[in-house]
Amino acid sequence: MNNPYLPLPMKLVKNFTETEDKLIHTFTLEFQSEEDEKSFAYTPGQFAELCVFGKGEAPFGIASSPTEKGQLKFSVAKVGVVSTALHLMEEGATVGVRGPLGNSFPMEDLKGKNLVVIGGGFAFTTLRALSTYILHPDNRADFGDLTVIYGARNPGLLLYKEELAEWEGRSDINLVQTIDRPADGWDGRVGFIPAVVEEVAPSAENTVAIICGPPVMIKFTMPVLEKLGFKPEQTIMSLENRMKCGIGMCGRCNVGSQYVCKDGPVFTRSQLLELPNEY
Amino acid sequence: MSGIENAVQDAAKKLLAENKVDVVIGFAQGSQPLRSTPAFIRKPEEAEKLTWNCTCENNLANYLRKKEQKIGVVVKGCDSRSILALMKENQINRDNLYIIGVPCSGMIDRKQVADLCEGKEIIAAECTDDALVLKGHDFEKTVNIVDVLHRSCAACTHKNPVIYDEMVAEAVTEQKEDFADIEAFEAKSTAERRAYLSQELSKCIRCYACRNACPMCYCEQCFVDCSTPEWVGKSASDIQDNMLFQAVRVFHGAGRCTDCGACERACPMGIDLRILTRKLVKDAKELFDAEAGVKMEDKPALSTFESDDPQPFLVKE
Amino acid sequence: MIITKQDIPNFLDSLKNNYQVFAPVKQDNYTMFKAITSGSDAILDYSNSKIPPKGILFPQTEELFSYKVDKQGAHLEEKIDSEQKVIFGIRPCDAKSIALLDNVFNNDKYEDPYYLTRRENTVLVGIGCNQPQSTCFCTSVEGGPFDTTNLDLLLVDIGDKYVVEVLTDKGKKVLTSAACSDASEADKQAAAKTKESATVVSKVNLDGLKQKLDSNFYDEIWDSISEKCIGCAACTYSCPTCHCFDIVDEAKDCDGCRVRNWDSCMFPEFTIHGSGHNPRPSGKERFRNRVMHKFKYFIDVNNATACVGCGRCIQNCPVNLDIREVLADIQGSEARSVS
Repeated sequence: MNNPYLPLPMKLVKNFTETEDKLIHTFTLEFQSEEDEKSFAYTPGQFAELCVFGKGEAPFGIASSPTEKGQLKFSVAKVGVVSTALHLMEEGATVGVRGPLGNSFPMEDLKGKNLVVIGGGFAFTTLRALSTYILHPDNRADFGDLTVIYGARNPGLLLYKEELAEWEGRSDINLVQTIDRPADGWDGRVGFIPAVVEEVAPSAENTVAIICGPPVMIKFTMPVLEKLGFKPEQTIMSLENRMKCGIGMCGRCNVGSQYVCKDGPVFTRSQLLELPNEY
Repeated sequence: MSGIENAVQDAAKKLLAENKVDVVIGFAQGSQPLRSTPAFIRKPEEAEKLTWNCTCENNLANYLRKKEQKIGVVVKGCDSRSILALMKENQINRDNLYIIGVPCSGMIDRKQVADLCEGKEIIAAECTDDALVLKGHDFEKTVNIVDVLHRSCAACTHKNPVIYDEMVAEAVTEQKEDFADIEAFEAKSTAERRAYLSQELSKCIRCYACRNACPMCYCEQCFVDCSTPEWVGKSASDIQDNMLFQAVRVFHGAGRCTDCGACERACPMGIDLRILTRKLVKDAKELFDAEAGVKMEDKPALSTFESDDPQPFLVKE
Repeated sequence: MIITKQDIPNFLDSLKNNYQVFAPVKQDNYTMFKAITSGSDAILDYSNSKIPPKGILFPQTEELFSYKVDKQGAHLEEKIDSEQKVIFGIRPCDAKSIALLDNVFNNDKYEDPYYLTRRENTVLVGIGCNQPQSTCFCTSVEGGPFDTTNLDLLLVDIGDKYVVEVLTDKGKKVLTSAACSDASEADKQAAAKTKESATVVSKVNLDGLKQKLDSNFYDEIWDSISEKCIGCAACTYSCPTCHCFDIVDEAKDCDGCRVRNWDSCMFPEFTIHGSGHNPRPSGKERFRNRVMHKFKYFIDVNNATACVGCGRCIQNCPVNLDIREVLADIQGSEARSVS
């Protein structure tokens, strides 16, 4: 019997300070063998439990795309025991990874569709995985237009700045970056995500919106999407309830009869409207 | 007893009818023999649900912290002491509280009653003023209430509420403090005491019923639940950790614990918790002359400092 | 088959040669299931154990694996308990609860090797309930005092002996080490009579309850129903179907190990997010989730009610919050489906 509680030991090859406030680090982990990598076949939108031996484990969305071979990326905010220990880890150390866990973005269903990816703050991790996957030459032709609307409180809090710069120069992605308030050295767009989505006004026709961000951003963006004609089944979200086991047994992450870890974390808005508001 | 019950009902009915309170918290008949249950009465006509007998064991002060509503509450001596202690800690706004005081002759200990019935199930019980009539499938038994009082009631020195807006019956006679039980425990060797506590705490399942039943345990995050740092291990199989949990809990209650016995009654595993809580009650009294929840003007024992405070824990005198 | 009560200690002692034997034993004035060192430790006149025997398959604290980390990486050693076990004297309600737990630890996507290995290697020897307690309501939740669900053997107490019903091959094998004789016609009749006379007095009406819960999440009844709950885990830890747990790293009895402990949905920390947001912020939401989990969510997922009517939560609640009354109150309430 396969033991879903055993982590895969991986090597931390990069511990990168992602944001100016230093509260978010991006960790690049390397598979120790080809076998390990094979056993970890994943799809954008899935998550994994990262473990620091001696401290415990905690769930994080996978920020890398399966098209980036040999490694996994996680962007982690410093909030608890495990994340703090991760932040302090030296490159070369061993980190445990358990997964991939959860469902994923419905990649098959998204094929042939235009995509509007909306992200706020540090909830951009699995959206990076999704965008990177779609932009890969093997996959790009499978999808329609790709619009990415990404905002943070200030420029220093935007994740993946180098990649954003690279995406700006590409013609197969329409990247809209925004920050909440004007800041020195920022000549880009200023405004909250809901307002920016309204300005950009993506067409809902043959389009799916995928949205991840803080609850308040989601709350105010939903009416905008509705106004633009996005139906609940055209809107996809990812939940972040507290989890432990990641395999639907420990009982804490349920929203109604659905376990976010096993049956989610990705749900359409129409699915969520059927569930109680416990997230 | 029925006189008190009627008086409690009348008081509650009046408070609700005159809109002086939003809710009256008292006791109602429970779902099992020898059980009553906390009841939240909001309409005058529901006041008749309120009951008073020797099974009204819960400390209702536990339901009064940080409440916005106007509350009427039925209290025993111990409940009233907890209320007073909580007022000192700014957990209760006295202006929003109407206290219906009941002089208390003590509540029974279900565990002792079960022992007297040799573990056979009691399927019906009747409380009279001083006796319990118990019925099982194949037995009937009458026991005197004084013989099965909970130990904290048997040792109680404040049967009459210390604070109230109205008292529904004549005061009962108080008795003197007697710490013979704790003195006997103190007289044991360290090894004996450790062995006894280990045996008791080996039964702990970490359900935290003791903590949650205690009106004085209201930390926003209890130290046992804290993960940064993790002060104490979470597994119930570790007796040391169980001991640490109780030790810190009772120390935190030093000078605040009124020995109401709510923790011990709540424990599903029958752990002798009072040996610890009462030891601290004795220490607070002897070392600091502090008695929790008796006088509003007394300062909390652990929040004051006098230069001549005894320091036997710190310095060998 | 027939086994006399006098022969039970010898039977258990002989089982100990091949199995770890768990049986009801006395602790204070209640009963607990424990691994016995002698067959005579087992008590036979008990109502039910204080804490259900689920902990034999799903221990309150369990090491999942230990590890060592050095320059070469991490070395893990999983601790799967594959010892053969017998649970002697389990009541039918508790045996049924294990069938429910099987759904949890073997769900549509994952298998829990710790639970399932123990489960596979454990023989359940039940003793029927001649005199159900006043808090028992097994017959309301598709059980009964002599229900055989999940049991390998069922013993029916007919005085100084038991009539043994062999239900599985596993049970048959266990019985080979017992001094059994064939049941006479009189014994069989006595057993039938015993079964007939065992009455479960307490009833809970589940008719239409699920439909009610399907639509009453936002009903006002949840405000009042849980008002007296003090938020401890006396109910969940004494519940044979509760399965929530936490996973932590420890370094006390090992260099480093990952441990799982029972946890409870009644605790605020159970669901709190790293951000401080709590989807079930007060006792009301937590109590509602507990009721919903047992009488709606579990049915949605596994087509079974996650309650076996053992009555432990009723007996152990410090404030006498009685699940039978809670369900009756819900049945009597008006459904309201909007927030």
